[in-house]
Amino acid sequence: MTLLRVEDVHKSYGDEEVLKGVSFEMDRGDVDVLMGPSGSGKSTMLRCINRLTEIDSGDVWLDGTPVYGPDTDVNELRQDVGMVFQDFNLFAHLTALENVTLGLKRVLGVPEAEATDRAADHLAQVGLAAQTDSYPAELSGGQQQRVGIARALAMEPKLMLFDEPTSALDPELVGEVVEVMRDLAERGMTMLVVSHEMGFARSAADDIHFLDSGRIVESGPPEQLFQRPEHDRTNEFLTGLQSNGH
Amino acid sequence: MLQAGDWAFVVDNLDYLLTGAAVTVGLTLTSLLLGFLLGFPAGAIEVYGDGLAERFVSVGGVVLRGTPIVVIMLVLFFVVSISKSAFVTATVGLGLRSAAYQSQIFRGALQSVDEGQMEAARAVGMSRFEAIRHVVVPQALRRSMPGFQNEFTIVLKDTSIAFAIGLAELLTRGYDLFTQSGRSTAVLEVFVAISAIYFVLTFGTNRALDRLSDYYAIPSGENA
Repeated sequence: MTLLRVEDVHKSYGDEEVLKGVSFEMDRGDVDVLMGPSGSGKSTMLRCINRLTEIDSGDVWLDGTPVYGPDTDVNELRQDVGMVFQDFNLFAHLTALENVTLGLKRVLGVPEAEATDRAADHLAQVGLAAQTDSYPAELSGGQQQRVGIARALAMEPKLMLFDEPTSALDPELVGEVVEVMRDLAERGMTMLVVSHEMGFARSAADDIHFLDSGRIVESGPPEQLFQRPEHDRTNEFLTGLQSNGH
Repeated sequence: MLQAGDWAFVVDNLDYLLTGAAVTVGLTLTSLLLGFLLGFPAGAIEVYGDGLAERFVSVGGVVLRGTPIVVIMLVLFFVVSISKSAFVTATVGLGLRSAAYQSQIFRGALQSVDEGQMEAARAVGMSRFEAIRHVVVPQALRRSMPGFQNEFTIVLKDTSIAFAIGLAELLTRGYDLFTQSGRSTAVLEVFVAISAIYFVLTFGTNRALDRLSDYYAIPSGENA
């Protein structure tokens, strides 16, 4: 059953068209990865799904709701879409636990005690049971990103968006975040991931969409894209990635 | 020359001076409070507002920051006559001027909070207002502490300008002491005494605000 449908999405910044008619679909439980060179529009595409960036034309549907419909409340819509950022963007003045409870309390109206319990569970799930009272600046990058994942998961979203979740991490910290993401994928979360982590893509992705200059050039399961890419551009990019040790 | 007799005169009148110091402290607090109540929203409007409100606030700020505080106070007291009370007039004058400066402190602090904080708050479904209130403002207030501390000291010292409208604060009382007949030799002693009182007040409040800022600092993060 289709959870996300993206239809002919166009987006320009000034004179520069970043997305030139992107379309794809995801079923519930799918894990899709967006890959492509920098500037190809991957992050913009992701941000158009929860309207952190607004599209110029086209359509996005989430679980039957038109994301850009005139009657759609963007704040309600975003409760269904978790987002994990490249730079974590944890609330700097709040502890790990408070980062997770803030949305529960302020957006979902969950009472304090219940919010605390739920947040503690989510932090335990990402392996941070011992860090609930730490502030973001006291945590490593990998730990911060896992708090970011817990914060998004706590809202019980239908879809999770990951915007280059491991790009800002030291290489030795990438593994712990990828592991949490893989675990999430196995538990059936629908995930759309912008990432060049070949390991994650290979083991967890259902489909990979290769973007170049604002268009999806090629889509397919990882084994197909990695072993028999149909387009030169895809092949070139993937060869480059592999030789860079990804 | 400093003379023992003149020091005794100052000591004898210490109560009189300290009553003036109490007025100075009171005026500082009322002015800063008025400045905060007007300046914080004004700073927020300059960052988040648009159209008429933003224009109004920014023009008001330019006018207030561009006018000498003595002029503001004299105009309020003698021209506009907003109140018969010199204390109320001084509060309004210093408060408005402080609001104009505090708005810039808070504008800068709000703008310094990373855009990603707002995005993360919006992404979990908070409205713009909720995101500002629960995520941006708590961080901005911490960052505004150094600037606010500075403003506190400036307002404290500028309460002495209420001398111009005859408010019996510390400077006015000091002036009244040495202008009494036969006491003109005590000018230096009186000024040393009131300067010392101003110093204790500014130094003391700065230390207290340092403590406050440390208390609310985000652990091992940037300092407030």
